[in-house]
Amino acid sequence: MADVVSVRIGAESAGRVSAGHLRSFAFMAIAGFMIAGPVAEQVFGVQSAWLRSWTMFSAIGVGVIDASFEIRRPDGGLVPLDRFEMLGGPRDGKLKWIQNRVELASIITRLCTAAGQGADIRVRARQATRGGWQIIHTDAQNACAG
Amino acid sequence: MPAPADATADWPGWRLMHAIAARFVDWAVCSEGSSRSSALIRIGVAMLFWSRWAGELLLYRDQSPIGLFLAVNFFIATVLLFIGYHSRVAALWTGAVGLVMYYYFGFQLGREPWTHHHAYLLAVAALLIALTPCGRSYSLDRYLAVMRAERAGVPPPAERGNLWGLRLIVVQLSVLYFFAAFDKTSYAFLSGARLEAIVLWYYAGSDYPAGLAWPAMIVSVAVVALEYCLAFGLPFRATRRYLLLPGLAFHAIIYLTLPVYTFSATMVLLYLAYFDADAVDKVIARLQGIGLAGTAGEEIS
Repeated sequence: MADVVSVRIGAESAGRVSAGHLRSFAFMAIAGFMIAGPVAEQVFGVQSAWLRSWTMFSAIGVGVIDASFEIRRPDGGLVPLDRFEMLGGPRDGKLKWIQNRVELASIITRLCTAAGQGADIRVRARQATRGGWQIIHTDAQNACAG
Repeated sequence: MPAPADATADWPGWRLMHAIAARFVDWAVCSEGSSRSSALIRIGVAMLFWSRWAGELLLYRDQSPIGLFLAVNFFIATVLLFIGYHSRVAALWTGAVGLVMYYYFGFQLGREPWTHHHAYLLAVAALLIALTPCGRSYSLDRYLAVMRAERAGVPPPAERGNLWGLRLIVVQLSVLYFFAAFDKTSYAFLSGARLEAIVLWYYAGSDYPAGLAWPAMIVSVAVVALEYCLAFGLPFRATRRYLLLPGLAFHAIIYLTLPVYTFSATMVLLYLAYFDADAVDKVIARLQGIGLAGTAGEEIS
């Protein structure tokens, strides 16, 4: 590459050649630093605050829970359960986001209490991870039992 | 019998590589052109610094010695950058302030929003613009240079200079796009799962919207494909014409839908670096109705 630099700026004066070389090496060094950050983290798994990895939006949404609730009617059929209506919370309030398993367990307990003794509530829930969705609750069993 | 080095030099692949490398070096560090696009980026970066941080750095907000020291440095450096007085030093100063905010106040002192991508990108943009002739146009530096030339009875210096700082901005943007796409090249993202999680986090809460799965997957694949195309296509004129509008639309959509602070605006501003500086100059002259006579001179000042 230095050979190439010499070709490009060979016709210039000695002082200018020196500036051209300096600029070329600085360009390579800065470009190398730009590339080193993401390569270090994304390829080699090295995490450092000093290097920018450009892994954007990778952590946003991680941990959020997608949950759906059903309740068994006296005739045996399962119907969707509106947690806002059952617990009397606003639709844009704290109940809207279930952010972890503890919050999910708390909501299930409150729903079971509100539905009364012997209620059969089924919960399907999955949690967002960096690797995709992870199922954390199936509707195979009554969430109010036990 | 030729020496091994000569044999290597005669290899057609080597000659092609040499030609490509020579062209790259020519593009990277040897090209000179109008300083007006650099100046526009300089002014834009100063305004983005204010847009992002001025409100948080007003003197009454953090009255600790280090907080006041940061605020005073921030405002002096960015004002100098905006008006273009000792422009390149001001750009270096502004970039250094940005990096101190990012590394020290962000990571060390725990001001988490200051550790985000947009903060780093702004600081780096200021540092890279310091490597351009950003003070030779639209600046107090320019005004003073013209005054000096008039007093000396010589023509004003040409608004031109070496553009290697703009080339580094191009490299930075391509690296950013490529590794943003590379990180998303996984089943988790391409299946739409990560995008679904983002939609739930910001919009839907814990109730999965009906019909989200397919659109999420299609948008995820499109985003990754677009980012790869932007990484490799924007630096080249032939492909840039097809990618410019998708790129701008992409950043506009991100800005409208997600909390990215100044990230989208910074990216769009830095797109100026992709364009031939003299072509930008000609567009400016046409917009001002002064034709080619109003473009930066050919003489290198």
